[in-house]
Amino acid sequence: MDGAASPFRTPVVALDGPDKVTGAARYTFDVSVPGMLHAKVLRSPYPHAGILSIDTRRAEALPGVVAAVTGADAARLPDPYYGVAIRDQPVVAIDKVRYVGDMVAAVAAIDEETAYRALALIDVQYEKLPAVMTIEAALAEGAPVLFDTPVAGEPIKLGGDLISLKEPRPNVLCEFGYTHGDADAVLARSDHVFEDCFHFSRINHFHLEPHVNIARVTGELIELWSCNQDPFVLRSDIARIFGRHANNIRIHASYVGGGFGGKSFCKMEPLVVLLAMKAGRPVRLCLSLDESLLTLTKHAGILMLKTGVTKDGRLTARKSEIQLDGGAYSDASALTVVKTGYRITGPYRWDAVATRAYAVRTNTVPAGSFRGFGGTQASFASESQIDMIARRLGIDPHDFRCKNLLAPGEPFRPGDSGIDSDLAKGLDEVVERIGYRQRVRSSAQGHKARGMGLSIGIKDGGGTGNHAQALVKLYSSGRAIVSAAAVEIGQGATTTLSRIAAETLNLPLDWVRYGAIDTDLTPLDNGTHASCGTVVTGIAVMRAAADARAQVLEFASERLGCTAAELALDNWTVRRGNYAHPLAPMIAEHYGGAGFEFIGRGMVKVPNDPKAPLTAASLFWMPSWVGAEVEVDRETGKVQVVQLVVGADSGRSVNAIACRGQVEGAALQAFGQSLFEELRYNGAEPANATPLAYRVPLAGDLPERYESFVLEHGGPGPFGAKGIGESGMLGVAAAIANAIEDAVGVRVTQIPFTPERVLAAIEAAR
Amino acid sequence: MTDAIEVAVTINGRGHRLTVPPRRVLADVLREDLQLLGCKIGCDQAVCGACTVLVDGMPVTACTTFAFELDGRAVTTIEGLAAGGILDPVQRAFLEHSAFQCGFCTPGMILSVKALLARHPEPDERLIRQWLNANICRCTGYQMIVEAVRTAARMGPG
Repeated sequence: MDGAASPFRTPVVALDGPDKVTGAARYTFDVSVPGMLHAKVLRSPYPHAGILSIDTRRAEALPGVVAAVTGADAARLPDPYYGVAIRDQPVVAIDKVRYVGDMVAAVAAIDEETAYRALALIDVQYEKLPAVMTIEAALAEGAPVLFDTPVAGEPIKLGGDLISLKEPRPNVLCEFGYTHGDADAVLARSDHVFEDCFHFSRINHFHLEPHVNIARVTGELIELWSCNQDPFVLRSDIARIFGRHANNIRIHASYVGGGFGGKSFCKMEPLVVLLAMKAGRPVRLCLSLDESLLTLTKHAGILMLKTGVTKDGRLTARKSEIQLDGGAYSDASALTVVKTGYRITGPYRWDAVATRAYAVRTNTVPAGSFRGFGGTQASFASESQIDMIARRLGIDPHDFRCKNLLAPGEPFRPGDSGIDSDLAKGLDEVVERIGYRQRVRSSAQGHKARGMGLSIGIKDGGGTGNHAQALVKLYSSGRAIVSAAAVEIGQGATTTLSRIAAETLNLPLDWVRYGAIDTDLTPLDNGTHASCGTVVTGIAVMRAAADARAQVLEFASERLGCTAAELALDNWTVRRGNYAHPLAPMIAEHYGGAGFEFIGRGMVKVPNDPKAPLTAASLFWMPSWVGAEVEVDRETGKVQVVQLVVGADSGRSVNAIACRGQVEGAALQAFGQSLFEELRYNGAEPANATPLAYRVPLAGDLPERYESFVLEHGGPGPFGAKGIGESGMLGVAAAIANAIEDAVGVRVTQIPFTPERVLAAIEAAR
Repeated sequence: MTDAIEVAVTINGRGHRLTVPPRRVLADVLREDLQLLGCKIGCDQAVCGACTVLVDGMPVTACTTFAFELDGRAVTTIEGLAAGGILDPVQRAFLEHSAFQCGFCTPGMILSVKALLARHPEPDERLIRQWLNANICRCTGYQMIVEAVRTAARMGPG
């Protein structure tokens, strides 16, 4: 597909652009519902404690306060717990708190200030319990446990003989196991076996629009205006928690001010509903960014890899043990563990593989979805170790990778789909762009040394066995509405999905509008995550547009007395041979009145496959090719990234500029995490869970030269598209670590690569 | 303690007489009293820059600026930047470069760039990056924003 002629008739313009540059774009943050109250949440000051009593009477007596809710209210709900597959997080703490920041009670009042003041009047008696703040502490013999009894839910369903366990041991939420071949036997036969351990850090999404929800309860109907990335997933959770049917739950979505996974799946939304029920009025809860920092993180983790290789540099087998820090509650940990464990082999060929991965419960902020979804952790460890092995064997890291890379079409793992990209080609593109072959280490120049590192991250994309539905409504004038529930979160879904419809209908792009998302009216979508919008929702939209087109041609063929096969649709004109028949007058003449709407329907379900390891073949593959050049100061340990080149494969870019933005935006998030960004704990409390202290990348942090590219190797989506949203996140940390070793000959196995860590590694090597 | 303060302020070219409590901040006045919802509040502590507006041409964080400080001053919000529906060159440049994703930081970012170009019509790369340090964008990776600033600088004040 690379270099093939464009299939698109008209250029792309960002349809959400004018609203966003003029301030007209409306987010859930901007929504106001008549009569709404404002809520605030009381949070636990302790990492682990029993709740002996909560007295809200003084708070409720404060003028302006309308309602307060506690675990006593939550406990009366039909099913007060949520979480992906394993449901252990209460709507608000019941009996116990499990991390500093855990939601203990909430108040709804006439304004936020009153609600804040009321929180101070709530009297909570705690019984402090010993806490486990790290993976090691949680797994220690006799460690305090977060949950005394098994929680609700099931382990993630997997295919074949894969292992998926719920709560197999104290403080272990879930466990994943994958084996292929006899890894121990293959390792025993290998010329070299290398064991290395990597530590991955905890970061926050730091989306600028805080978590914000407004709930209104009217009789049986529960309505939410929500910033959630997954309106239909949320609908299911609210229905289950409150014991109502889904047709009595209505979720409204608006523009989302950044998410990156932080707004996926159910979180504080049911608490807002509970408040609205108790208050008898609509309630808005807008967290502060400080509170968002206490709501969800990316999984920290410890990844131990044991990898075999022949003396001529062929990889043989890999055994992995992966411990992810899931924090206090499940959230999406069960799924993240599966994906991390599955992706740990990287884009290479193996004779045998054995992986164990589990999520460990600790008294820290829950971990869940974050762009990359375990792929970032796996890629950091795997691509670091691949580089270390190459250097130990004296083989160039580029050549070592190329010798072992999966070829196009070769299955990622037996039973899964083939690699739909040219991995070597992308790596060569990085090598060329960064000048890898000409690199100068300049170690002679005093205390600063330069080096370059490469890496190839990879993850499956589009979700597993995913599905989506869509409508395309064509009005009498040829103007169209795309109705689908991929939420516009900055990825450009508005434009991309509209373009798919416009191209399918041969209409100008600006004749198409991406409709408002309302679960009462919009067809179901499985959620705005896993880089699935362009492919999964995109196929549903394309099919809906094709269905609408077929209806139009059928209508025109009846009017013109011919067959639909003789007709072509072009700019709302039907062409038959040399004759053009404008549709608008034809529709007006036939229907009169208010005109007509052609309503096309489309859906897609990625087939389930019992033979595939994850129960469905992976829909597509997202490679991440990265090259980094660093300058390391041997005296201070400071790492300066001089060049960063990041590449991805869009299959075929439906929205090229958005693809570039996705790659560069994701890579800069990974860049920040590699060098400085981290949500740190100081004992029981987060040390920097406030925007003033939590440092994210700024423009001034940009590498001197920052370059991205997008290859187009084709894919399963409309026009050959693939998802790309998470790619840039995957390979960056390893590429920088590899460059550091290239520069100063020492390996840093823990991110972020702070001056302290790098200096310690340099001094240890002296 | 005074309960309310009279403030005469020009907002997007129109004079307003406001009666504000001493603790009321500009962001709340804009969003709640005047429905100028383009002023976004992210961190609410003058770190992220999403609420940036111009006061007498200088960028300020509306979340930490008291309304009473504005007596006799002129405020420009994102809603006031496009004159008569004609987009400002900075807005056009942001559109041309797709220098936004989720868009939550965009109004503040655009106003910050407006202030940069007013003081430094031909900023170099280093100055652009330094200036943009006041505005966090979590989505784009900044490069497309930097490119938009360069283009806007070439367009001139419009």
